[in-house]
Amino acid sequence: MTEFTLAQGFSMIALNAQRSSHRTAVKQIALRSLAAAVVLECYLEGKLRAAADQGEDELELDSYLPGSGRSDYSSSETGEEAYQASVISWLRGGNPGRHGQLRWWLKRASSLSQRKLMHLEEVMTRSLMDLGAMEEIPHLLGCDMFFESSGVEVKEYRSKLPEYTRMAEGLRAEVLEDGPVSDEAICLLWLLRESGCLPDLFSYQELDQVAQRINELDVSSPLAHNLFWIRIGQGWGMTVKHFLQWKKAFVQTTVGRGMLFLFPLLERSQAVFIETEAWFANSQDRLDAVKQRLESQGHAFTVLREGESPTIKIDNLIYEAVPHLVTMRVPIQGVRLLPKRPL
Amino acid sequence: MSRQRSMEAIESSEFVTIGELVRLTTTRYSTLKFYTEEGMLPFEQAEENLTRRYRRESTVKRIALIKQLRSDGLSIPEVKKALGLEV
Repeated sequence: MTEFTLAQGFSMIALNAQRSSHRTAVKQIALRSLAAAVVLECYLEGKLRAAADQGEDELELDSYLPGSGRSDYSSSETGEEAYQASVISWLRGGNPGRHGQLRWWLKRASSLSQRKLMHLEEVMTRSLMDLGAMEEIPHLLGCDMFFESSGVEVKEYRSKLPEYTRMAEGLRAEVLEDGPVSDEAICLLWLLRESGCLPDLFSYQELDQVAQRINELDVSSPLAHNLFWIRIGQGWGMTVKHFLQWKKAFVQTTVGRGMLFLFPLLERSQAVFIETEAWFANSQDRLDAVKQRLESQGHAFTVLREGESPTIKIDNLIYEAVPHLVTMRVPIQGVRLLPKRPL
Repeated sequence: MSRQRSMEAIESSEFVTIGELVRLTTTRYSTLKFYTEEGMLPFEQAEENLTRRYRRESTVKRIALIKQLRSDGLSIPEVKKALGLEV
């Protein structure tokens, strides 16, 4: 059974179902928190510790860490050392004796440039893929006529289910159950709060319990007391994320589905259009066109119900293939895949 | 600071918490909680407000048995009956 570090565990939750080949607002928030996760990991492992003669609150990085000029570690390109080395070298910025409070280190990590964050994403996902905990799968949007015909490949990250369950459910158990909470769980909880991922793991009722637990920890744990007062989430980014989450939930309601059919731009990834070859295609031809496209893009699917608007389970989500027509220079017939509420 | 126990430490200890059981068996927390509340997973608790502790070996075996019975198509009351519990 593989043991994951704090940053790896957080990546498995925060990067799950995020587009791998594109820079999205939500992924950007996750990456900022991921850089902070690496700092917290160093802190827990004692690699970020109290600076000599500077007081307990002033922390500095161990001078023999990967990423420093005096490193004794071999510079591997993957694994824990690789991502720690990258973040540490950026944070040091050529000044090995740099010191500051935990808040300062976390803020500094979360405001790294986009180019550095993209590099961190690459190193981290590669380390998880090497451990067999993450894979890159085709995104359904890649099946859309406009994306497919332009040759745009859309892929997303998917954490392997057993590893994801162990990580996410382990945290849920620790937070929701009475008893002590480990430092790793406290850090993970803070990271999830700062990246806006808490609703992915906890229901609305459970979020109240989580808030209560945070208040308890604030009193009982010095780490939690120190950490939960630090905010690295950027207001604008979080607003965008919440709006996008709300939009995705809205298009899955009855009214939202109708709106999405009329205005596919409302939630583009949930309104995939697949064209049929023949004009006036019957329902079977339309279904065949959908099957062919899904197969060519490497999706796993099952047709649950055939008919005028077939129901198809694609990568564990259920969609309805509704006949539709788009008008370009000429009208194009096809189907639109719309998300269906759970059966 | 209280650090999380490593898998090695968990696998060699006599008692585990529900969170550690989740990690050992890759079962959802809510499922284990439900099994516990239904009396299907025996536990020990020193005082009311203290953490529930499960005997690792016997509990992991019991969870595997429950999973097997569930995949054989038994309902929860039937599983409880098979485990010799009152329905």
